[in-house]
Amino acid sequence: MTLHLTLPPRVWLAALGVALVLALGWVATQSGPLAPIKVIVTRVNTGEVSPALFGIGTVEAQRAYLIGPTTAGRVKRVLVDVGDTVSAGQLLAEMEPVDLDARVASSLASAAGGRSAVAVAEAQARDARSRQALASTEARRYVALGQDGILGQSLVDVKVQEQKSAAAQLAAAEAALAGARGDLARLDADIRAAQQQRGNLRFIAPIDGIVTTRSAESGSTVIAGQPVLELVDPLSLWIAVRLDQGRSAGLRVGLPTAITRRFDPKTPLPGKVVRVEPTSDSVTEERLAKVTFDSLPEGLSTGEMVEVTLHLPAIANAVIVPNASLRHRGSQAGVWLHADGQLRFIPVKMGAEGLDGKVQILEGLKPGDTVVVYSERALEEGSRIKVVPSLPGAAK
Amino acid sequence: MISLAGRDILHSSSKFVLTGMGLGLLIGVTFTMAGVYRGMVDDAKVLLNNSGADLWAVQKDTLGPYAESSSIPDDLYRGILGMPGVAQAANVTYLTMQIRNGATDVRAMVVGVVTGELGEPDYLIAGRRMTRGHYEAVADVSTRFVLGDRIRIRRHEYTVVGLTRRMVSSGGDPMVFIPLKDAQEAQFLKDNDAIVSERARTAANPALNRPGVPGLLNAIEASQTSNRNVNAVLVRVAEGRSPEAVAQAIRRWKHVQAFTREQMEDILIAKLIATAAKQIGMFLVILTIVSAAIVAFIIYTMTLGKIREIAVLKLIGTHDRTIASMILQQALGLGVIGFAVGKIAATVWGPAFPKYVLLLPADALRGFAIVMVVCALASMLAIRAALKVDPATAIGG
Amino acid sequence: MDEGVGIRVEGLSKRYGTGDTAVDALKEVNMTVAPGEVVGLIGPSGSGKTTLLKCLGAVIEPTNGRMTLGGEVIYENRWKISDLRVLRRDRIGFIFQAPYLIPFLDVTDNVALLPMLAGRPNGEARERALGLLRALDVVHRAGAQPSELSGGEQQRVSIARALANRPPVILADEPTAPLDSERGLAVIRILDQMATQYQTAIIVVTHDENIIPTFKRIYHIRDGRTYEEAGAGRVLPQASLS
Repeated sequence: MTLHLTLPPRVWLAALGVALVLALGWVATQSGPLAPIKVIVTRVNTGEVSPALFGIGTVEAQRAYLIGPTTAGRVKRVLVDVGDTVSAGQLLAEMEPVDLDARVASSLASAAGGRSAVAVAEAQARDARSRQALASTEARRYVALGQDGILGQSLVDVKVQEQKSAAAQLAAAEAALAGARGDLARLDADIRAAQQQRGNLRFIAPIDGIVTTRSAESGSTVIAGQPVLELVDPLSLWIAVRLDQGRSAGLRVGLPTAITRRFDPKTPLPGKVVRVEPTSDSVTEERLAKVTFDSLPEGLSTGEMVEVTLHLPAIANAVIVPNASLRHRGSQAGVWLHADGQLRFIPVKMGAEGLDGKVQILEGLKPGDTVVVYSERALEEGSRIKVVPSLPGAAK
Repeated sequence: MISLAGRDILHSSSKFVLTGMGLGLLIGVTFTMAGVYRGMVDDAKVLLNNSGADLWAVQKDTLGPYAESSSIPDDLYRGILGMPGVAQAANVTYLTMQIRNGATDVRAMVVGVVTGELGEPDYLIAGRRMTRGHYEAVADVSTRFVLGDRIRIRRHEYTVVGLTRRMVSSGGDPMVFIPLKDAQEAQFLKDNDAIVSERARTAANPALNRPGVPGLLNAIEASQTSNRNVNAVLVRVAEGRSPEAVAQAIRRWKHVQAFTREQMEDILIAKLIATAAKQIGMFLVILTIVSAAIVAFIIYTMTLGKIREIAVLKLIGTHDRTIASMILQQALGLGVIGFAVGKIAATVWGPAFPKYVLLLPADALRGFAIVMVVCALASMLAIRAALKVDPATAIGG
Repeated sequence: MDEGVGIRVEGLSKRYGTGDTAVDALKEVNMTVAPGEVVGLIGPSGSGKTTLLKCLGAVIEPTNGRMTLGGEVIYENRWKISDLRVLRRDRIGFIFQAPYLIPFLDVTDNVALLPMLAGRPNGEARERALGLLRALDVVHRAGAQPSELSGGEQQRVSIARALANRPPVILADEPTAPLDSERGLAVIRILDQMATQYQTAIIVVTHDENIIPTFKRIYHIRDGRTYEEAGAGRVLPQASLS
């Protein structure tokens, strides 16, 4: 009994059928919701955690000087420009004196008039003194003669009265002189006042520094308090750093810092914290600190933004895990421990964290434990997992 | 009794299998469309689940922050945090925008989060979480960024330090997480040209630029360029407390609306996805009809090609029902091949789609049942033709 | 009537249509064929021979008359058998103008199909098929597909199929039409053999002048009526049908 079956189509179809069934089975179990979740695990080690704080800083001058008039007026001339280096005592700008010069001249003229008045009063006083001297001499002679009975009492009384009147005239002349002198002093003071006001119109550099702003040109009107120029001391530049309040543990004076300027992010410059501000920013919830460069770099400008990393002391022999392995269940932070093929959520207590993502674990794990670092999906108790060396899409 | 259907299939196997594969590709397209819809719903669910929040506090009278734009002050969260039943509250901003990476542009949803708080992705597939308060980013893999990429968002460059998976907006755009302050700045700060012209406009306004008040102009410019708003506050409710009760309490604040997870799902799925769902539903119906038509045509053609044999079979004594069953089996066999090819094809090409395609096993089973029913119905045309054949035509001629 | 009488037709009429346009294809046809006899049915086209064959084959319903097949009255003014299909399957064998083998079944299964349809187990059906193929000297092609066979081989397989359920009656419709004279005679010779061997009554509708002389009895049919005639009954030469 030979049945010649046509093998090729039959075998081919059967093979196709088997292939389809296998493919369906693969599809059902390896992809979609039924498939196990791919994870990457790592062993918990001990190592060093280098915690650091990070903040954005703005370069500022420690002291900035606003140069401007004390009264409203018009700018006469500005002698320096932005970027000019000036030395202390240098004339920077001047306001229009307006009527101040005329007032000074008028004060001088008044003072001159006052001096002549004093001269006149002195002459009158001298004249009165001489008359008084003469009157008193005559009065003495007449009194003596009166006592001798030579002259009548009324003549003596006249001369005595002349002497008294001359004395009074002297007193008046001396008082007038004092008054004229006092006037002169006042007028002299007026001169000094006018001259001082005139002096305020000249702006003198208080320090060696660089002009950073020129706010008014000659001819513009400025009011009292409005700055015409701004000066900074270029050697006094420092950085005002802002740090998130929540991530500012360990901030203190003296912390070493690495400062990165925008155009050269690969070369951090060393510096240190010189002041931690006693007031924080409650609106942005940031703490403020001042950081100086160990050595001022070239071409620093105020307002420049820099990135500041403050290095806290490293913690050695810490139990560390990558921060990607930290998950949350409700309010609990923890990791997924992979032990005996089982997945368990272990709450942990965290310590310091480095900027590279290594986190110190204070409680909950020991070195040698295996924890899940990366997973395709969120894990739950009882999730089926498959440990793989790398996850798709994550290749560098 | 041998299987007539089986023998016929074996005899014209290549035609049958090729037709089955063609039908399978059509079925694969149908599965993929259903998968696109499921993917959209999953996108919405994933968006809500991954935030870790139980409640969303948003601007009053809006359906934000995903369906509508919402803007609330960024210090509101402090008040919410102090309410009973609230375990965690955190600010969050959302902005969909183009992100530059080198020469390419990617459309993404930029999410501003406070590191360590609600809103940060809970699991990564590479890299680490953000540790610095500025200029770091965690991106979803569907952006095609890799670790170490420097991406540009508005005025600043950010280094990609971590990668996530399935962190997408309800529209399917990948998410990129950056620190909240940077995101606030990105959301409201314009480009340099706009800022400069804004400054000039402010300086030209005599009410704002008063010479008698030095420093006023600077203060105004500073307030124009700072942003103190966020889009939503994510709230996690304490264990054992009812989210709706806490939401009610939050709503009593005058200018804030609060949604629970169910309400957010309803907003996203019912409102955002509704139109797309209808479109996809129509597509599925059309594709099913087309598939049915194709099966009907194929089986009908195959049957017509056998009219003589069917007449002979009927004449020599084959039951009508045997012939009908042969045609039906062929149609079902075609359906089985089509289903298998379609399911495999959909699984294979699904990941290549820009949006997430989710193929559920329940959908596959439903699809199988529908394919079988459709094939059975489609074979009716051919069966009717076969039954109408008069066996007498085999005699004479 | 006698038991075992192969075919007996009495007063069979078939009218198509009604009223003025009615056509009487068969008018009071009478016919008998004994078991083991091979009878010729000759007539021009339009004479009703195809109609008569269809009535005998139980695929169309006559208007009135009586048909007896294998001793059983199958029609007497109306069908006496409830399931005509079973009748055709078990009691009538058909041989057509062309072999009409089922293309997707191999040779053995083409023949074994009928017993399987009758309920026989597959193994027994195939055994019987092989036996018939052997008798027809075509068993060496038992596993081939019909498309691989020559015309003559296909014809022999179709004869085997007609015999597969050992029907008492075989209706052959122009079985030699596509064949040359030598092969045509061989077919008739085989039919003779099979008729004798299995005691089957065979009607052969033909207009092939080549084989008409071989019939011992011939029925002429014209305008729906039949006339019996003794045939020449020539002995057939040994010929092979390849």
